[in-house]
Amino acid sequence: MEYLSYLVATGISTGALYALVALGIVVIYKATEVVNFAHGEMFMLGGFFAFTFHVMLGWPYLPSFALAVALAFAVGVAVDRIAFRPLMQRRTLVSVLLVMIGLSFVLKGVARWIWGGKGDYLTFPPLISPEPLSFAGIMVMSQQLVVLGAACAVMIVFALFFKLTRAGRFMQATADNPKAAKLVGLRTDRVYMYTFGVGSAVAAAAAVLMAPLTLLYPDIGFMLFVKAFAAAVLGGLTSIPGAVVGGFLIGIIEQLAAGYLHTAMQEVAAFIVIMIVMIFIPTGLFGLGRIRKV
Amino acid sequence: MRRRYPVAAIAAALAFGAGLAAVPASADTQTQGVTDREIRIGAFGPFGGPVYLYGKLVMNGVEAVFDKVNSEGGVHGRNVVLVREDDNCKPEGAIAAVKKLAYDQKVFAIIGGACSNATLASVPELEKSGIPMVVNSAVADGITDPPKKNIYTAQLTSGVESRAQIDFALAQGAKKLAVVRMTDAWAMARYNPLTAYAKEKGIEFVENLELGVDANDATPQALKLRGAGVDAVIMILYPKPGAVLIRDSLKIGSNPLWVGQTAINDFVAFEKQVGVPDALTNFVTITATAYQPGDPEVKGWTDRVKKLFPNDELSVFNMNGIGSAQVLVEALRKAGPNPTRDGFLAAMGEMDMEVDVYAGPIKCSAGKSHQCNQHPGWLALEDGKVVRLQ
Amino acid sequence: MRVLIGKRAFLFALFVLLFVIPWVANEYQTFVANLILLYVILSLGLNLLIGFAGQLALANAAMYGIGAYGTGLLMTHFGLPYWISAPGGVAIAVISGTLLALPALRLSGIYLALATLAFAQFTFWLMTHWTPVTFGAGGFIPPPIDFSPLPVTQETGIYYLSWAAALLLYVAAKHAMESPVGRAFVAIRDGEVAAQALGIDLLKYKSLAFAMSGFYAGVAGALYSGLLGFVGPESFDLLQMVLHKAAVVLGGMGSVVGSLIGGVLLTVLVEVTKEFKFSIEIAFGGLLIVFVLFQPNGVIVFVRRLLPGWTERLHYVPPDKESEEDLAAAPDPDPDAAPGPEEPTRAAAAGPRGGDPG
Repeated sequence: MEYLSYLVATGISTGALYALVALGIVVIYKATEVVNFAHGEMFMLGGFFAFTFHVMLGWPYLPSFALAVALAFAVGVAVDRIAFRPLMQRRTLVSVLLVMIGLSFVLKGVARWIWGGKGDYLTFPPLISPEPLSFAGIMVMSQQLVVLGAACAVMIVFALFFKLTRAGRFMQATADNPKAAKLVGLRTDRVYMYTFGVGSAVAAAAAVLMAPLTLLYPDIGFMLFVKAFAAAVLGGLTSIPGAVVGGFLIGIIEQLAAGYLHTAMQEVAAFIVIMIVMIFIPTGLFGLGRIRKV
Repeated sequence: MRRRYPVAAIAAALAFGAGLAAVPASADTQTQGVTDREIRIGAFGPFGGPVYLYGKLVMNGVEAVFDKVNSEGGVHGRNVVLVREDDNCKPEGAIAAVKKLAYDQKVFAIIGGACSNATLASVPELEKSGIPMVVNSAVADGITDPPKKNIYTAQLTSGVESRAQIDFALAQGAKKLAVVRMTDAWAMARYNPLTAYAKEKGIEFVENLELGVDANDATPQALKLRGAGVDAVIMILYPKPGAVLIRDSLKIGSNPLWVGQTAINDFVAFEKQVGVPDALTNFVTITATAYQPGDPEVKGWTDRVKKLFPNDELSVFNMNGIGSAQVLVEALRKAGPNPTRDGFLAAMGEMDMEVDVYAGPIKCSAGKSHQCNQHPGWLALEDGKVVRLQ
Repeated sequence: MRVLIGKRAFLFALFVLLFVIPWVANEYQTFVANLILLYVILSLGLNLLIGFAGQLALANAAMYGIGAYGTGLLMTHFGLPYWISAPGGVAIAVISGTLLALPALRLSGIYLALATLAFAQFTFWLMTHWTPVTFGAGGFIPPPIDFSPLPVTQETGIYYLSWAAALLLYVAAKHAMESPVGRAFVAIRDGEVAAQALGIDLLKYKSLAFAMSGFYAGVAGALYSGLLGFVGPESFDLLQMVLHKAAVVLGGMGSVVGSLIGGVLLTVLVEVTKEFKFSIEIAFGGLLIVFVLFQPNGVIVFVRRLLPGWTERLHYVPPDKESEEDLAAAPDPDPDAAPGPEEPTRAAAAGPRGGDPG
């Protein structure tokens, strides 16, 4: 019993990381109908930015955190300007995806170029004590609880944002029908721009919080992106609560697969989930009930 | 008229081909790459991708040694020049790189070989070209075992390390051994000799687990290790999964003897990577280098690497390059003022020297042992300080 | 001059040059020339799938790997000669490729891309974990290939086999894409609903597109295992996938002769990038970005603009950049291309076709 509860508890705490990354993917997808293939690289860059300010330059934690998130926002805006806006006018999704793939490789190469000589896996100090905490006999890394809290907070903020604010409804309207949104006078291009910025900023925040546990290296992004994408797909790709639930589920599935089947399954579980969901329930658990023809 | 297009095209192509053919072939491969002023040495390994550390950073270390040698007047008056080739850590890349260095760049010898699979794939090409090769990163035993006439390695090979890991655990009185491993080519090159040696010693691993190179969590592995009550865990892991495994084991209150290998040999960095205080009391690891990057003994190299590559910190990857390059330069010196391939290989074949950064002597024996580094050093933490075990 | 730069003459000269290279060039140049032939085959096959049929699949590197593994493993495990193993490996790649068409019937665009990416990663995982069959991550050395009674070495034999395969597969792709099959592919790319309305069997033609690209990648893989004499999983990773994509985009999506040029250019550019000690990741990621953004139809467009006689009937030419205002204000002339409120079919961007700049 202890074995199972450990696996589930750890699944939830690692799932929080996937959920937080998946949130960014879903927010961008909701508004733009594009999966940001370079989202994992946003996470990586956010972590390296914070490392540069906090560790290399010795600035205090919070300003470094804020600046890293702000810079990631700027990178997100740049992604919109470079990869999305020019192509959206041509409306060729295949091209957008190809550019994103290219971008993810360029960003990896650039990160290697700048930070690659500093060591194999760079370390970043945690926000709170590194000691694990006990919950009813189950030990959990305290840093993971921070991420868990952050994932829930970000999810609630986004859910409220989309429901209650005008900007949120603009985003949703833009996603549902860009042409109509434009016809009624929405500045859809701005909506896209902010969406990319916000998505990247969330990834960067996740990176700064998680870096003490995940460590920082140029190739951290891809695996994280795949797992977060599996989470997002499981949750239906358009649903914000779906992304969070999907994140937790992927976390737990991985743990159970590794714990009960074979430890080799831990790595590949996310890919299998993607394939199964795509083929049998393409709308995911919280999807819209129909697939947009994209 | 249309019929004549191909004829004209053939004529053009043949003319071009004839032009290429007119370039005379190299006269003597024995002294290829050696001029009055310089000796050109090739290197291949990845400049990018996840394992660039074993390529680019090791080459930076080699470059640091060449810089030092050249500033002191070179080898018999000749400067040593490094010609780098990117192999992308891929078999086709390594084969292309060897062909390019041997037949196109026409270097005198090669130092390098980063990825086990890529270097293994290039062995037939290396043998065919006869170009002298000093391996400095790729650990797979098959590269130098059985011995190839022109290939030596200055790096600890996977078999040496794997056997040392088991011997160390047994010497500490461990009864129940487990192995946690990655599944890439690097890990397999170690895992295969490990299982062979375990069988030889009559050991059955009580747990045999996998952990991905990008894993952010190792709780299932830690639980299994604790459940089996293991005494010692052989880690065939990079620092990240290694750190995650130890961290998650400590989390659930289990701390057996952890036996690492040279991929985790920056002890100070690894302690930070685990991130839990006093995490490494039961951790030992093999080091190919005698010193840690922060040690005062390697201050000279720290400064030189910093001077040449201002963006970098001295790492153990640099130090592997430094050690192997010192061996190469020594062999070049011994090959005399008129170095030939055979002279160089003869010098390599009876190499016996102490190197600044390596833990043990480099001792080669032509035709018998081309794995010149047989001395794993052990690092552990004693009273909060990293010490080398004897 | 004109006789020298016509398309047929150029292709003839290219293949003649590739034919004589082993006699006149050094070993390194010959090896690179052989890689060129492989990348020509790979980019032709991938272009059929993404450029013509419009299916954005990310599993081409995996198909390449399946071809290489299939061939090498049949030789190693069963002791079969190369001339049986190679078709066997290709057959396995074709079967796997065709299976990928199943998700493609339900998914499109981004969903298809990522489902095939998951498939590719799963294949990679299988290569490293199915040790009894694949020998795991350490790779394996297939037995040497015997070309007797022909008096050639393995290197020369594989080179000319690659040469012949590239030539045949180019001609095959060219003819197939000029036939009703090509027109069906293009119809599917430009709008599946419209294609069905025209009586095009989606199941049949999508499967055919995936099978064909699997065949091309499989042939390249079979040649690869002979060329290297070593097969290991790291050759078939994400970077390999990016290289294939870059070759197609570089040459020109939806242009057969573009793929030929793309394969040649890509391989040469990889070597040039290495020569300048520049990061392959940045170079080819960047190349993908620059070409998709500024010249989505590849270098073939420049060639056409400058030289006569290079047009192809079905080459895809997207509409000119529509300005924001036009997009919002003007009613769309083409109902198939205009996404209705229920179906924003951005991927199926259709435009005036046949407006060839050459």
